Amino acid sequence: MTNQNNSLSHIFRVNKDIPAMPFIACGAALLLVGLIGVIRVLVYGQEAVYGVTRQVPWGLLIATYAYFVITSTGLAFIGGLGHAFNVQPFARIGKRIVLLAFIILLAGFTQIGMEIGHPFRLMYLFILSPNFSAPIVWMGIFYGIELFLLSIELYLIFVKSPKNHALSAATAFLTLMVGVAATSNLGFVFGSLTARPFYHGIYFPTFLVVSGIAGGCAILLLIHNIIYRFNIPDELSRTMSGLSKLMGLCIGAMLFLSAWKIISSLYTAPAEAYEAATALLSGPLAINFWCGEIIFALLLPLAMLLMSRGKNFMIMGAAGLFFMIGMFFTRYDFIVAGQLHPMRAGNAGSHVDVLNGLVHYAPSSGEWMIFALGLGLFFFFYFLAERFIALEPE
Amino acid sequence: MKRKRYAIVFDTKKCLNCKACTVACKFENYVPVGDDSYRLWVTEMPLEGRFPVLRQEFRPSQCQHCENAPCEKVCPTGATFRTAEGVVLIDYDKCILCKACMAACPYDARFVSKKHDAVEKCTFCMHRVSEGREPACVETCPVRVREFGDLNDPDSTVSRLLNQRAYYQLKPEKNTRPRLFYLK
Repeated sequence: MTNQNNSLSHIFRVNKDIPAMPFIACGAALLLVGLIGVIRVLVYGQEAVYGVTRQVPWGLLIATYAYFVITSTGLAFIGGLGHAFNVQPFARIGKRIVLLAFIILLAGFTQIGMEIGHPFRLMYLFILSPNFSAPIVWMGIFYGIELFLLSIELYLIFVKSPKNHALSAATAFLTLMVGVAATSNLGFVFGSLTARPFYHGIYFPTFLVVSGIAGGCAILLLIHNIIYRFNIPDELSRTMSGLSKLMGLCIGAMLFLSAWKIISSLYTAPAEAYEAATALLSGPLAINFWCGEIIFALLLPLAMLLMSRGKNFMIMGAAGLFFMIGMFFTRYDFIVAGQLHPMRAGNAGSHVDVLNGLVHYAPSSGEWMIFALGLGLFFFFYFLAERFIALEPE
Repeated sequence: MKRKRYAIVFDTKKCLNCKACTVACKFENYVPVGDDSYRLWVTEMPLEGRFPVLRQEFRPSQCQHCENAPCEKVCPTGATFRTAEGVVLIDYDKCILCKACMAACPYDARFVSKKHDAVEKCTFCMHRVSEGREPACVETCPVRVREFGDLNDPDSTVSRLLNQRAYYQLKPEKNTRPRLFYLK
């Protein structure tokens, strides 16, 4: 009985130093907004509540699904580096990484669960009638395995025993591999669409993996600043500096990939990809692209990481915050830009309404409310865990 | 006996833009009202020539029933499938409304149906064809813009038209190999 109490006290404790309550309250409020959104969808139906159309069938909820799940697999990648490849600075914060990855993945599942018209039908038809030539099936399989592996990892990192160490390393390695497979398959859901030249190809399967790792680093830098009230102890300096270096490297790769994606979409004006690229550069998505994607997600965090010189943790945390804000726009832009060029010209009788040759999409209040559900789930459950579970570095 | 390969051949020069085909389709298939709810459409092509000698073509269209159908490939549950005759259909009970097929279709031929609570599109009126009747849009057209038939039958109207006249297909660069043919 005493042993059991000891092991429980090893896992559960009240962490009064962590400023979790404002985030828990914020999370609860967002959850409430999200639940109202869910009720609206159940009562009025998706078609009445969501802003997606025949021409733009994928909207904000696909973007937020990608936002959450790709960040989660990025975290799993960093966790894998720590546990499976023994990168000690990352292994030290393994508990926090695994818990974050788990909760953020669940937040992503709320988005896809509310986006798909028949989520329960999906669950049994993926088993009874899967079409293995569909990238969505592989994405679903890999994300399902990812959730299962993260659950095992969660168990193993809290229940210490010498046997568990090897098992934990193996699980972390598998989680890393499955995470990369899941995210690149998510990219291929778009990359496989020959109808949409802006999506088609290897860019998104690659870019999503790299940006996911950067997202994992960004959220860890931000969360540690919050947990330690912007006063991260020196014992975590190698961890923070390692995260900032990895994040800087990934942002550099993202800049490289983005630049070539835009250049190749403009050069000789390839049909439909050109219109998507100009929608980003000077069209309806220009503010999102220049302010959100380029400044917030790429230039500002990169400059701040360079300024921090791997020592100023507060600047690193701010870089993480800006990156996560910018990443939202990056995900939204990539989902929407690829669909703005209509599949047939907007002539009379075609039923296609165009403005400057592009169709229109704006997220509805209902879609924002479902995004609030995912954000609320993350804030509420993660900071609740920070408050009551021992997650300190080892 | 060779298996049937159904197709529709359009002679768009005959089209009056009366839209009887779109109305017949709505009534035949109980397609709900709504801006996005339609299986067929008739696009008014840009004016050609110089005033006062002007010309305009109307181009009716619908699901292309592609032989290499992207919608079928991306459907995660196999709800979208091709029949032995090459008609692309949807099993509404298997559709999870992920809308991947809508994103994958290069012809914008699909929409979310309130009636079926699933994605819907042209079925070549297979319920009529199985009774030996033509699709509603073909039968109702006052000037026979559409001809429906079996490409494997050399005596069918569609085979004869395609043998006698030049034709084109929509978006051949997508390599979807549509079963809809437009006479030049």
